[in-house]
Amino acid sequence: MSDVSTFSPAAPHASRLLSPHEEARVFRRLRGRLVANLLRQALREARLRLFAVLALSAVLWLALFELFSRGFQFLIATVQHPDTQAQTVGAIYRVFFVSLMVMLVFSTAIILYGGLFRSRETRLLLTTPARTERIFTYKLQEAVLLSSWGFVLLGSPLLIAYGIIALAPWYYYLLLIPYTLAFVFIPGALGAILCLLFVYFFPRQRWHLLAAVGVGTIAALLWWGWSLAGGARGSMLTPAWFHDVFARLRFSEHKLLPSWWLSTGLLQTARGRWSEGVLFLALTVSNALVLHQLAAWLAHARLRTIYSNSAGASAGRKRTRPALIDVAVYRLTCCLPPVVRLLLVKDLRLFRRDPLQWSQFLIFFGLLGLYFMNTRWLRDDSGQRVWIAMISFLNVGVIGLILSTFTTRFIFPVISLEGRRFWILGLLPVDRDTILRTKFLFAFFGLLAPCCVLVFLSDLMLHVPFSLMLTHLVLCVVLCSGLSGIAVGLGARMPNLREELPAKIAAGFGGTLNLVVSTFYIVVVVVMVAVPAHFWISDGAPANRQLAPTWNQYRWLIAGVGGSVICGLLTTWIPLRMGLRAFRKLEL
Amino acid sequence: MIEFENATRKYGDKVAVDDLNLLVPAGELFAFLGPNGAGKTTSIKMLVGLLRPTSGTVRVGGYDVTLHHREAASLLGYVPEDVSLYDKLTGREFLHFVAGMYGLDDSAARRSADRQIDAFVMGEFVDHLTESYSHGMRQRLAFAAALLHDPEVLVVDEPMVGLDPRTARNVKDLLRAQAAAGKTVFISTHSLSVAEEIADRLAILDRGRLRSVGTLEGLRKELASHNSSLEQMFLEATGGAASAGKNEPAAG
Repeated sequence: MSDVSTFSPAAPHASRLLSPHEEARVFRRLRGRLVANLLRQALREARLRLFAVLALSAVLWLALFELFSRGFQFLIATVQHPDTQAQTVGAIYRVFFVSLMVMLVFSTAIILYGGLFRSRETRLLLTTPARTERIFTYKLQEAVLLSSWGFVLLGSPLLIAYGIIALAPWYYYLLLIPYTLAFVFIPGALGAILCLLFVYFFPRQRWHLLAAVGVGTIAALLWWGWSLAGGARGSMLTPAWFHDVFARLRFSEHKLLPSWWLSTGLLQTARGRWSEGVLFLALTVSNALVLHQLAAWLAHARLRTIYSNSAGASAGRKRTRPALIDVAVYRLTCCLPPVVRLLLVKDLRLFRRDPLQWSQFLIFFGLLGLYFMNTRWLRDDSGQRVWIAMISFLNVGVIGLILSTFTTRFIFPVISLEGRRFWILGLLPVDRDTILRTKFLFAFFGLLAPCCVLVFLSDLMLHVPFSLMLTHLVLCVVLCSGLSGIAVGLGARMPNLREELPAKIAAGFGGTLNLVVSTFYIVVVVVMVAVPAHFWISDGAPANRQLAPTWNQYRWLIAGVGGSVICGLLTTWIPLRMGLRAFRKLEL
Repeated sequence: MIEFENATRKYGDKVAVDDLNLLVPAGELFAFLGPNGAGKTTSIKMLVGLLRPTSGTVRVGGYDVTLHHREAASLLGYVPEDVSLYDKLTGREFLHFVAGMYGLDDSAARRSADRQIDAFVMGEFVDHLTESYSHGMRQRLAFAAALLHDPEVLVVDEPMVGLDPRTARNVKDLLRAQAAAGKTVFISTHSLSVAEEIADRLAILDRGRLRSVGTLEGLRKELASHNSSLEQMFLEATGGAASAGKNEPAAG
């Protein structure tokens, strides 16, 4: 404000209150400008990243499309009876969409919570004359968009693949768009109502309750998946098997479920019955509008009170004693220097107190667990040992990929965030190498525990030989070490000290590089072991887990494991060394 | 123009603002003083509608902020302590958005934004994304946005934090000019010298309770501290230097 000579407060324009339409236009313009600026900036500064993301999304979409196409072809070829075929496709649609609907309810609720109650933007908007329900709608649209892109990415290849296989008429594809748009707003609005009611009734314990409900839902899904996979083993695709599976899925046929409207409407449209398709579309749209209106009314009546109460509850409870887990970790690490133990406990506390971090761990690992449990029907087919081994390695790869997204999102940004607190860490009698090594230890042990549990579960379900199970556990250690080394090393080498939000740090160039390098590392390490294991099993590997393989059979496998260990050590050491060098020189 | 009537705000069991009664007329520059956690920011958040009083009423221009938030908000311009902007908007785009929210049509918004851009000398950076702005630039933009619609009441939370001496001088001039033009200016500050220099009246808040309110001379009389500095009066009203900061509520 230097060089301001005079301040003349008189302005020639007085304010006036906007009509709902004018207000909507102002918000539309705001969103348009934000999106345009974001795209322009991405095209100017991060073109490679933008195209990489688009290309990877396209590859994923095509892979899913191919998978679903082949799945439907297999189904049509295997299940000859038209009624059973129709019933099976209907069941696939209903289960798929009911699962996604449940996930959309929770993801929208969580994203909306962040958008409404933790966002500075909402605080700014609430001080303006904008209608409360308008602010709510603006944030809800954002939350629905963010939570439903996965639904679109997963759902669209399934729907299009079926349309092509079933020779659906052109209007089937046309109706997909309004159906999807209307459908996502139903769980979106339900999630929004859930979010508002949670914060209204439990302003203090809201996160814990939301997490408890989320974990409970995942547990219910796991139980359901377990009971579903356990049915009619050994008699697949027989009439008795179909009968058993359809009976278990009957809950998804409830006519009040929006997923049933969506599934039935689209399947009827695919069969050429457009009037029923339009009828169910009208039902879905009208319910979406009603629920959206209900959510908006609730926001109009209560949002400001909820916001105000929520702000008052942010102080939380007093924590006068250390938590048992902190004490346990401190004691268990007695062999480490006290400074390292203190830093580890501090990082553990920060992790525990940020539900955004551990709830994502729980959701992703819960879903992986559900998938692993559903693979157990494979184990009884002794003729499929090669496939089982391959699937077990694919499972390890998937776990690695999930871990790499976590290291990118949560581990890579920690150095940047720590840099902002360097006024305290930098003055402590702790050298910078210790800080970085502690970050590595925290990441390594934090990833190792869930990784080992999931790999063990996958191997247990698939009944893989003991030697292969041991190989997978070694791979776990190699993966966790390498991924932690890459994330901590690159995080220190490319810190972003200006940004406060970890998600934005992760979305930058360094974060993208971290993800790409991690993905490459996972592929190399897993393939290095999976290929010799494949040849080992194809070439007369043990037919059951009691039979020990010969030394000759072990030779290639040991070479592969040894190679992956060396690769893991190098991938841990090189980025960490680069990171240590950069971190020592870092000026804040 | 601003009226707190028996306004109380609790955070759970803690009372952040306790039975606040205050009347600030048009054309006055009013300074809210108090130690950390005294309840200054809570009072301001009640005034701008971010928090609701647990009991009592807050009015702006006669409108109850809880019941008629939109009407009250249209009279207000607010500069928070930690200025929040849209990272992916330029300063000019941000000003146009704020002007639109207050009902200025496109041409009026453009004219008003241009006026503020000139007044706050933002021409060099106003067309860059706000993510690249320094603290001072953000503060200038926040003041410009708050004044776009010529508000009857300007509320500023800690106006001097992080400003260099020249900018601080200019902010003081701006606040005085607003009051001189008949607008109400309500500021909270830790800086006793600022309050002493520019405020028409001041209030001292401590642990949620209003200890003293009046002109500087009035406070001297009230506290029987003739010829003493505002600092001495402040320490006296808030229980002395030793006790300042003790037993503070968690939010304030």
